[in-house]
Amino acid sequence: MKMKRILTALAVPLLALFLLADTGFAQRERGFDDKEIRIGQWGPQTGPAAPWGAVARGSKLVFDMVNEKGGIHGRQIRYFIRDDQYNPSQTMAGVRELVDRRGVLAFVGGVGTAPGMAVQSYLRQNEIIWVGVCSGAEAFQDNPWQWNMWPSYFDDGSLLAKFAVENKGYKKIALFYQNDDWGMDAMKGINRRLKEHNMELVAAVPVEPIERDLSSQIARLQSSGAEAIIGIVAPTQAAIALRTAVSVGFQPQWLHSYNLCDFALMNHITDGLWAREGVITSAFTDDPNADTPLMNSYREAVKKLAPEERWGIFYMAGIVVAEPLVHALEKAGPDLSTAALRDALDSIADFKGIGPRITWSKESHRPPRELQIWQCGPNGETIVVQDWIENELSME
Amino acid sequence: MPFGQLLIEGLAMGACYGLFGLAVVIIYKTSEVVNFAAGDMAMFSTFVSFHVLTVYGAPFWVSFLAALAFAALLGVFIEFFFLRPAKNPSLLGLIVITIGTQLLLAGVASWKWGAEQQAFSIPFSYQVTYEIMPGFVISQWAIAVFIIAALIMAFLYFFFKHTKLGTAMRATQQNKHAAKIMGIKTNRVFAFAWAFSSVIGVTAAVLLSARTILDPQFMMEPFLRAFAAAVLGGLMSIPGVLIGGGIMGLIENFFGYAWPTWKPITAFVVIVLVLCIRPAGLFGKHYVKKV
Repeated sequence: MKMKRILTALAVPLLALFLLADTGFAQRERGFDDKEIRIGQWGPQTGPAAPWGAVARGSKLVFDMVNEKGGIHGRQIRYFIRDDQYNPSQTMAGVRELVDRRGVLAFVGGVGTAPGMAVQSYLRQNEIIWVGVCSGAEAFQDNPWQWNMWPSYFDDGSLLAKFAVENKGYKKIALFYQNDDWGMDAMKGINRRLKEHNMELVAAVPVEPIERDLSSQIARLQSSGAEAIIGIVAPTQAAIALRTAVSVGFQPQWLHSYNLCDFALMNHITDGLWAREGVITSAFTDDPNADTPLMNSYREAVKKLAPEERWGIFYMAGIVVAEPLVHALEKAGPDLSTAALRDALDSIADFKGIGPRITWSKESHRPPRELQIWQCGPNGETIVVQDWIENELSME
Repeated sequence: MPFGQLLIEGLAMGACYGLFGLAVVIIYKTSEVVNFAAGDMAMFSTFVSFHVLTVYGAPFWVSFLAALAFAALLGVFIEFFFLRPAKNPSLLGLIVITIGTQLLLAGVASWKWGAEQQAFSIPFSYQVTYEIMPGFVISQWAIAVFIIAALIMAFLYFFFKHTKLGTAMRATQQNKHAAKIMGIKTNRVFAFAWAFSSVIGVTAAVLLSARTILDPQFMMEPFLRAFAAAVLGGLMSIPGVLIGGGIMGLIENFFGYAWPTWKPITAFVVIVLVLCIRPAGLFGKHYVKKV
């Protein structure tokens, strides 16, 4: 008799726990109701990587514009940004909170390889849709719950080399790269392209992200006799390299990765050398000042909805990753569900916002393989020297 | 190998490291504390100069003087409020306080000026270059670095050898209690040493930022190099530190040219080797305390 009472006493809280857990699960499964759709993103809003935080705020502009027009099939988008300071453990905390407590339907963007890697398996286990992680790392490519937007570094290197050889006719090309996966992936792309032309890099000089004195690297690049240098480095190292080169009278043509296509920023931190030396970069958006109806609508929306924001490339990146998600939500129709959104994403074909043209299918969620090539004009303006071009070479 | 270029650039960067190493050495000379906040104190003061220059639109020299004044105050402030209140401090305890100060300064600077990189220009441009002989290109910036480093070193040498305050600082380092008995106000000496170190630190940092870039992390790597230069030259020797800086710059540049992948670790290999072979550094005298 006593045993029975103990068991009953235990069963009540256990049952309650079970029921509560079940409601939690049901909420997580849906991520929306009749009035709202919940979307999340993480990104460094404070700390050393804060400049990249603009991505998460750029996506907000797209959702605010949608909400202003009445939402998607009558539902408003409720958007959550979690500041992770580019610290993977904080990314995990923010993501868990959004999944478990807020119950989001999908994540969009998310800056950086390391923070993304930290939450990848968690999001996959929970079957949360994730569109456009801001990293070109290969590790993100085979997740069935991820749809990728960020161009791969292999394609970036390959297309920069293609432009240098085919459009500019350079015979001696050197590489200045960050000594990690980013630099190595791009180097593979460059070598693959140069092989097509029976060429080789005249020098490949590594740099660590913390280094500030680049004199020996520049001396090595200079003595290689390079006419053009492809740079796969962070803004700081690119700026210091350019300054150092100028200070020893070395003026090759610099071609940098798409991470450096924010000409306003680069011109600012190089005392205007970026413009004076006419630096070339690849790019993953349309010209920020293009006079197209879509671009104009965004620029006007920024003035109205987020006047404190700078119309910079990281901000635009946030728009680029949010566009296909909004498009898929519209396609999924009023009977929204995770499965419906998934099908809608899988059937996106030839979709064009202000980024590259996207086609996804059930079999492939890989990012677009096309980029533009820009040159910084004498007054810091963007000159599109090569319209969208697709990399036709594969890694093998 | 572009010998001339590596030599000039190596010596110029080395002079900056050496100059910054002096900031570390001055505090070490008086209190035997290695100041791990030196880099971020200099970073913070450089941002003050940048702020005066860009926000108030003041000429460079005004902003630089403001930074020097701020640096001196910052040094005194940190000594007075962070180090002095420590109860029965051990040397290690004081060093940990400097590490905490470094984190605090880095955080405040990121909050106030943001993490985005800034360009900081000084009147000595790295863009104006002279070819003194074939293969030897020197920029205005490098000339300024050599002259300023030489002037500061000459001044310090004179200061520590021939002024009362300099002698008092050396006395305080050798024996704090004896110095006190002889009538030296050791607390004031410490405060002065922190101010002095901070002023030299910001001078080096302004020169470095003009050549590299200004952001809240920009002194992290130079601090490590400067520390290596100071260990190499001997933490007690003023000319030793500057020569150590020069050697450091040259080793890094020539090694970095020959084996770029190994460049970042050169400084640390140098520290380890020196500590193994000559713990007091190339020019330092090793004091043995008698029990």
